[in-house]
Amino acid sequence: MSDAEPARLTPARLGLGPIGSRRLALLCAALTIAVLPLVFTDTYWRTNLIVCALNVMLAIGLDFVLGYAGQLNLGQSAFYGIGAYVSTLLITRLGVPFWPAFAGAVAFSCLAGVVLSLFAMRLRGHYLAIASLGFAVITYQILLNWISLTQGPLGIYAIPPPPPLTLPGLPAIDFHDLANLFYLVAGFALLSYLLVDQLIRSPIGETLTAIREDEVSAASLGMNCGAWKVFAFGVGAAVAGAAGGFYAGFVGTLVPDAFFITESFTILAMVVVGGMGTLIGPVCGAILLTLLPELLRGIGDLRLVVYGVAVTLVVLFIPGGIAEAARLALGRLGRSSRRGGAR
Amino acid sequence: MTADAARPEIDPPQRRVLLRAGGLNKRFGGVHAVRDISLAIPEGAIFAVIGPNGAGKSTLLNLLSGIYRPDAGSMVLGGIDLTGLPAHRRVRHGIARTFQKIRLFRHLSAIENVVAGFHIHYDIPAWQYVVHGPAFRRNHARCRQEAARLLAFMGLEARAHLPAGSLSYGEQRMLEIARALATAPRLLMVDEPAAGLNTAEVDTLLERILMLRRDGLTLCIVEHNMDLVMKVADRVMVIDYGQFLFEGTPAEVQSHAGVVGAYLGGELR
Repeated sequence: MSDAEPARLTPARLGLGPIGSRRLALLCAALTIAVLPLVFTDTYWRTNLIVCALNVMLAIGLDFVLGYAGQLNLGQSAFYGIGAYVSTLLITRLGVPFWPAFAGAVAFSCLAGVVLSLFAMRLRGHYLAIASLGFAVITYQILLNWISLTQGPLGIYAIPPPPPLTLPGLPAIDFHDLANLFYLVAGFALLSYLLVDQLIRSPIGETLTAIREDEVSAASLGMNCGAWKVFAFGVGAAVAGAAGGFYAGFVGTLVPDAFFITESFTILAMVVVGGMGTLIGPVCGAILLTLLPELLRGIGDLRLVVYGVAVTLVVLFIPGGIAEAARLALGRLGRSSRRGGAR
Repeated sequence: MTADAARPEIDPPQRRVLLRAGGLNKRFGGVHAVRDISLAIPEGAIFAVIGPNGAGKSTLLNLLSGIYRPDAGSMVLGGIDLTGLPAHRRVRHGIARTFQKIRLFRHLSAIENVVAGFHIHYDIPAWQYVVHGPAFRRNHARCRQEAARLLAFMGLEARAHLPAGSLSYGEQRMLEIARALATAPRLLMVDEPAAGLNTAEVDTLLERILMLRRDGLTLCIVEHNMDLVMKVADRVMVIDYGQFLFEGTPAEVQSHAGVVGAYLGGELR
């Protein structure tokens, strides 16, 4: 059926590439992750790499909710913070080992996402944005003011990184080493990507996209829009919670300011600049917007201006983001090469 | 009190009633959009609802499909009480619909629109949504195949991979029907399917509607185009100002003075 129409670059075609190319892309991604800490050996760049990986997770989580289910969620910073605080408190207060605490952080963030979306189920667009932003503000205020639990603005210090991992037949992998920590976080980022990618390629992806496009229509086909939105929020928040679970052990200190609402907008910018409703776009957006301010450090405070202008220009002129720009460029390349071949 | 008692019996041989609604009422603020409407749609029939602009036809359809909740009244489909069910649950009992103002997933391709209509028919273990196994692949292939068949049935096979929003108006109407059919309904409700279509497209539509009925589907058509209604409908219900006016065969409707009055803007009652 798809052969009947040669040389048409449709989104469906681009999204449903042959399995071989997906495996290849996965291999390339894994190789890139493996090589990066070998290329960047100083602490500064390795730290940036880990921040990139964390932001990739946050952006993937938000993209699932915003880009696919079409729900403008500004609460991502809260789920990130909940993940970080839950895992840290479980470790420092209750002496829970890292991995169960990590699982608890993911589960609790997921629950928070589900609860928020249950309350906000009837809201959409700007109203949902306001409600979810309110949730982010409330979460931040709780982290800041529930001092007996979170130590408020004083923060929690000396949080250990994940415990060494011992694999049979290998020396223990110590996560004090930033390269190893990067492998861990980037591995989870890749895992999140694969998880969300699989969901999107399943009928769930079709359902969420349908709900994004037209809820009344989706309901007329038997889709329970409310339940699916709750599901999307749960997945998006769980991924953010996982990022939070790594954040504390990576940074070593935890203060509420790391999860102020501006973080939500930064994540939103990553998704929008990368291209909502694609997965690879927000990944690129997250990496670009993490590294851009670092690369622009040379020009001092002007970097914030450049950053802001760059984001604004993308939103104004390439609303589809990096993914859309790449698609158009590839399409043009394809056309011109075909034309060249015909001559 | 039942609608049938007061009205002429359905044409012989007596058909089973598929959808029965009684005493439907819907108000929007001060507007009484639907007032005490009862209806019985016979199984396998084409049931048309006609009436002037603003008569409450679309509101009635929205009540039947569950988009609006009635202020009063009840609905039963083949023995199942639909009254309190939301739209998405009614689909599982076999109600599908199209919209007067086209509501396609504009950025999805035509075939993806139809595939979305298979939502309630997926039969995949939950874990295969994450790890795509054999059941997933079987379902996926079957849905695509079935969707392609439905597109071909509506004459859209050449448009399968174009975004729905880029299709012509007539094609979009056909695509909405194909998408609704993907839910495998017992009752298909189409809201003004001929609006905006040219004569050739109306003919195609007519032919498809008759083919669907021949295959055993029950249809409820809300329509302005009297020509189409008179050609295909088995029963015609006329409403005006949200109220029941008349029900009968197309021939009876055409000779009914009140109906002519309503359409010509004459005095009622």
